[in-house]
Amino acid sequence: MSIQAKPLHSVGVPMKRKEDPRFIQGKGHYVDDLSFPGMLYLSLVRSTYPHAEIRSIDITEALKVPGVKAVITGKDLEAAGLGWLPTFHGFDKQMVLAIGKVLFQYQEVAAVFAETRAAAVDGAEAVQVDYAPLPVVADPFTSKADKVLLRPDRESKTNRIFHWEVGDKDGAARALASSARRIKQRVWFQRCHPAPLEPCGCVAYFDTMGRLQFHVTSQAPHVYRTALALVTGIAEDKIHVISPDLGGGFGNKVPVYPGYVCAIVGALKIGRPVKWIETRTENLTSTGFARDYHMDVEIGATADGRVTALRVATTADHGAFDAAADPSRYPAGIFGIVTGSYDFPVAYAEVDAFFTNKAPGGIAYRCSFRVTEASYAIERGMDILADELGIDAAELRRKNFIRKDQFPYPSALGFTYDSGDYHKTLDVALERIGYDALLKEQAEKRARGELMGIGLSTFTEVVGAGPSKHFDILGIRMFDSAEIRIHPTGAGIVRTGTKSQGQGHETTWAQIVAEELGLDAGAIMVEEGDTDTAPYGLGTYASRSTPVAGAAITMAARRIREKARKIAAHLLEAGEADVEWTDYRFQVKGVPARSVTMKEVAFAAYTNMAQNEPGLEATYYYDPPNMTYPNGAYVAVVDVDRETGEVKVRRFVAVDDCGTVINPMIVEGQIHGGLTEGFAMAFIQEIQYDAEGNNLSTNFTDYLVPTSLETPHWETAGTVTPSPHHPMGAKGVGESPNVGSPAAFVNAVVDALSPLGVRHIDMPMTRDKVWRAIRDAESTKG
Amino acid sequence: MNLQYSGEEKIPVSPAAVLAFVNDPGKVGHCFPEVVDVTVQDPTHFESIVKVGVGPVRGTLKLKIELLPDPSLRRIDMKIAGGGFGSAVDLTAGADIVDAGDGTTILKWSGQAVARGPIAAVGGRVLDAQAQKLIAQAFANVRQQLSG
Repeated sequence: MSIQAKPLHSVGVPMKRKEDPRFIQGKGHYVDDLSFPGMLYLSLVRSTYPHAEIRSIDITEALKVPGVKAVITGKDLEAAGLGWLPTFHGFDKQMVLAIGKVLFQYQEVAAVFAETRAAAVDGAEAVQVDYAPLPVVADPFTSKADKVLLRPDRESKTNRIFHWEVGDKDGAARALASSARRIKQRVWFQRCHPAPLEPCGCVAYFDTMGRLQFHVTSQAPHVYRTALALVTGIAEDKIHVISPDLGGGFGNKVPVYPGYVCAIVGALKIGRPVKWIETRTENLTSTGFARDYHMDVEIGATADGRVTALRVATTADHGAFDAAADPSRYPAGIFGIVTGSYDFPVAYAEVDAFFTNKAPGGIAYRCSFRVTEASYAIERGMDILADELGIDAAELRRKNFIRKDQFPYPSALGFTYDSGDYHKTLDVALERIGYDALLKEQAEKRARGELMGIGLSTFTEVVGAGPSKHFDILGIRMFDSAEIRIHPTGAGIVRTGTKSQGQGHETTWAQIVAEELGLDAGAIMVEEGDTDTAPYGLGTYASRSTPVAGAAITMAARRIREKARKIAAHLLEAGEADVEWTDYRFQVKGVPARSVTMKEVAFAAYTNMAQNEPGLEATYYYDPPNMTYPNGAYVAVVDVDRETGEVKVRRFVAVDDCGTVINPMIVEGQIHGGLTEGFAMAFIQEIQYDAEGNNLSTNFTDYLVPTSLETPHWETAGTVTPSPHHPMGAKGVGESPNVGSPAAFVNAVVDALSPLGVRHIDMPMTRDKVWRAIRDAESTKG
Repeated sequence: MNLQYSGEEKIPVSPAAVLAFVNDPGKVGHCFPEVVDVTVQDPTHFESIVKVGVGPVRGTLKLKIELLPDPSLRRIDMKIAGGGFGSAVDLTAGADIVDAGDGTTILKWSGQAVARGPIAAVGGRVLDAQAQKLIAQAFANVRQQLSG
């Protein structure tokens, strides 16, 4: 029996990341680190044409390249019934290797297997493909006209993939028509790419039992196992998916890519392990891109700035296949969050998506299925409305925020926001940035002709999919899971259906278990990514890990605590009803001196459990009753050089409210990373195509990743309004800075240029683009 | 990426000599800059392997060339298609063979190219100037060969 002097708080503690020692010592274990005896390498032949008929594929010369063992084409796969693979939401299918024609530049055309990586590349180079070019559709507006049918394989003979709508169309139209003031603006969230530092790859082989061992860069290994069973026909028990350490993912490692299927087919055909690791160019040009939404935003308001209606019409470019990783009932993801943090009485949103001759995708790049696009649209719209009305942008937001007493808040587009205190969060941000002083400084600078801008973004996002009744991937409902085993010494292991790509799960999950069971977080091991050992889960993306798997861990830990209570009662020689969990230990009610720690109970669970079931472990599958709604208030301050168009981000304050914070240091790290990505999208990143469908952003000299030199200094703070339905009150935070920051940057730059009459600039706001905006505005003014 | 080029070369031989030269695959095939190999298939078709370096993109292009003689005997056209290192190039080039009246010939050439793949991705920076240089060099080589 023992008495603990202090509570063992784990949640809220900035514990150093347990995984970092191995990462910073170069001891991470990635797919490309794997090597097996007899392993072959796969290289993919990719299309040089964006749209072309394949007249012939000649593999003769490739097979003569020393070391090349085999070449497969789309026809080979088609003959084996593996020509196509389903996209995750189930609306479309994607060619594994091109059959009959190619639909985007860098599309997979043939697979070459060789003894060395170099031989595989040489073999791919030797494959001769005879193409007959077809007309190219390089944008969704051209696609809309249906003059060139891109996908004759589909039953629907149109380039339109879907029309999706939500809200009150007629009501919004009436309200807009009768509004005293009204703004309309097209904003484009350009095509971006998550560009994880580690590109995608896999190693596939069949073991001596004929079981597929598949090591892969996957954010959702369990879903991969099921998807591979469906695509290949291999029984699911004969598939073992292992996702080791991942060097980032950001949504890019959610889809199943053709290279994976080819590696498995090669391993089966040749009988040897096959490794496929894509190059940077392959990653940027063929794997899941993000955004590419053209959004027409209309807001109605009263003369004094009370919003009356919102209407957003979006034209989406999905590329050659509809490989957007959206849940099946939500083809435009959760775009309905477009009402943002504001109390719109009526709203309507529609999305029309089209095929083009570009790479497929539309994945949730560090965002919960199109939430970043939605957040950008409404935050730009609110700033334009403020400008139109001549009202301060902060004041307009304050006037229209959903009030604290309105939660749970039913939005006009069907969401039930769980909690928030938007006024408080904005107040903290404005106080931190010194808003009033900045406004004064800005007025003085404008009088001198200097361009200084202040940009706000007061966003609300929605994360944590399920609930399973609403969300699924390939029909698999979106829940998540945790299994906890506490060993006799009080150490333990947690396994979940999620998969960290750098988020710090090994630390965060251990802290949750430690908090719930009064154990040492340092002695709780976390294991994810192995489908043979972890319980089934839907993976890590869309900020769902803490809202869903974190909740599952909490609930599993509480199940353990209930079992432990019986053993504690035995140890304390008390009735179970007389034992309570308080201050991280079991004690007899009213008698603090009679207590046992969880560590002592754990030992007893294996050595002195009396009539109780031995062992101390539990599993929980958590189906969230609602999503969570993290929010924040961001303020950017920029100075723009009138002569060169150079934008300097002088300050950036980010105040996030992600509910209960489990590890503040990890949360801050997530915010720093997301803000840097938001900065990159706002200023330098775009996957560009020319009018002929050539991808012009094929490497890191064209698709830029900011270094510490370009990245601004981030100032962070937080408010806490716990989620009422999450067992710990946590909401998720990984995506918030990526979702919320682009609008703050654009609003700041447009604010700086507004004295010149500039109303909007599309991202990325390169120096050249800003300079042209200044020049055009000045020439217009004369 | 669509590219268009034009230029002219004054060649110190008669139009008939120029016409004969540019209609001979074995001769004109060696006028491409950095040519590695030429394989003549028939009087109007040949294949050529050339080295190309455009900015950071370097490699070997295998080109299929078709000569398209003009019945007027005052013009030659050619279609060039090929690829390599993940890139593709489709080029149409033509030249008017103009009698300068002094025993020499003016070769007025023009061409348009479509580039795809990594070679096109660098187009915004250096491809345009580099391609102009290569094509101009090819016609300069015609002049040089005939001048010798």
